[in-house]
Amino acid sequence: MAITDCEALVLAAADFAEADRIVTLFTREQGKVRAVARHAKRSVRRFGGALETFARLRVQLVLKEGLCSLRMADIISVFPAIRGELAKIGHAGYACEVVDRLLPEALSNPRLYRLLVSYLEHLEAFPPTQDGRRFFEVNLLNILGYRLPLENCVRCGAGLAAGPGPALFTGTGELLCGRCGGGGRPVGAETLLLLRRSMETGRFGAVRFPPEALSEAGAVLDAAIGSHLVRPLNSLLFLREVPGADPG
Amino acid sequence: MIHFSQSLTRLIGELKKLPGVGERTALRLAFHILKSPRLGKDLAESLLEVHAGVRFCSVCFGITEEDPCCICSGERDETVICVVEEPQDLLAVERSGAFSGRYHVLHGALSPLSGVMPADLKIAELLRRLEGSSIREIVLATNFSVEGEATALYLGGLIKPLGIKVTRLARGMPIGGDLEYVDSATVQKALEGRNEL
Repeated sequence: MAITDCEALVLAAADFAEADRIVTLFTREQGKVRAVARHAKRSVRRFGGALETFARLRVQLVLKEGLCSLRMADIISVFPAIRGELAKIGHAGYACEVVDRLLPEALSNPRLYRLLVSYLEHLEAFPPTQDGRRFFEVNLLNILGYRLPLENCVRCGAGLAAGPGPALFTGTGELLCGRCGGGGRPVGAETLLLLRRSMETGRFGAVRFPPEALSEAGAVLDAAIGSHLVRPLNSLLFLREVPGADPG
Repeated sequence: MIHFSQSLTRLIGELKKLPGVGERTALRLAFHILKSPRLGKDLAESLLEVHAGVRFCSVCFGITEEDPCCICSGERDETVICVVEEPQDLLAVERSGAFSGRYHVLHGALSPLSGVMPADLKIAELLRRLEGSSIREIVLATNFSVEGEATALYLGGLIKPLGIKVTRLARGMPIGGDLEYVDSATVQKALEGRNEL
């Protein structure tokens, strides 16, 4: 039974039993852990408003196999501006859910932690945009080892931008050059370039996608993320169906 | 689990389904009921009575035995509606004695992560209540969780364009609260909402 202090983001939280809460934490040091916060609903002094989705905390955990125990949580930020706008809640919720679903438990990933913190800080300061979401997604896939093959055709190895026509994104989720692709959605050279640039720069807001490139990047990234999920994301449905949740 | 008689095992099993009741508590409660036959009979009767008589008010969706409920049919301020997440939240506002208007119970809150959508809540019913009514203010008393905030923001976006005043419960220090133990987010909100003495 090891006690550890770490920094964490709350990916999800749910009531448990009479007065407890179970939180899914993405810690910078220990990776993703699930922890029970005993008497969290009764004792305002102990946890206060800390155990809320996308709160950034300093926590003390008792590490165990399976469900850990949360001893203490101090708020670094609850991102009040995110909580004050429906579209920001939608986008932050999506980021937390997609990380929760794609990240295995107990694997430290400080790079991904920094990416998620940066995205939440960006959402806190600026209105949510599709550019920001796509920037987050392409970097998320890259950090998790699911990097999109944006340079070369997965079939013949030729440069995607060098073919006779645009690259094609197939129904099976592959990016093929114009020569190999029998059909699929065209993906322009500019889109490929902007996606690559998104992975090179670590700064939100540094890459702007024109509307056509944004639409192409969206189709590629949605399919790529979907291919790694067992079931659809609830937050994606929320973004699509709740008016005002996604500024488009 | 140790097997007692079939009926006792069933009782323990049913008690275990209650929130916060585990194996040992269920066992203790079952033996307590067994030792007091009168209690068991009264408890069984009241459970049946509750299930037969209690329903949701067709106007506010609070818990009632008469439809509409006593709040919806009583002498209350018809121009103000307090919107809450659950029936127990209605009781909390009522206990305060500070509100004289009517209520609307949503039966949940929007949740991007759990997939709770507007159609899962009594939002369409609230909007129908507002159509052609004399309501001048909606008090959004959803919880101050992310889900409660999302619900309040969503409802605000729907109701404000109708020309109805939309208000939210204030946030800040609890009565008897000790600054030392209050989290920084609450202190921040308390400072933002400070009043002149």
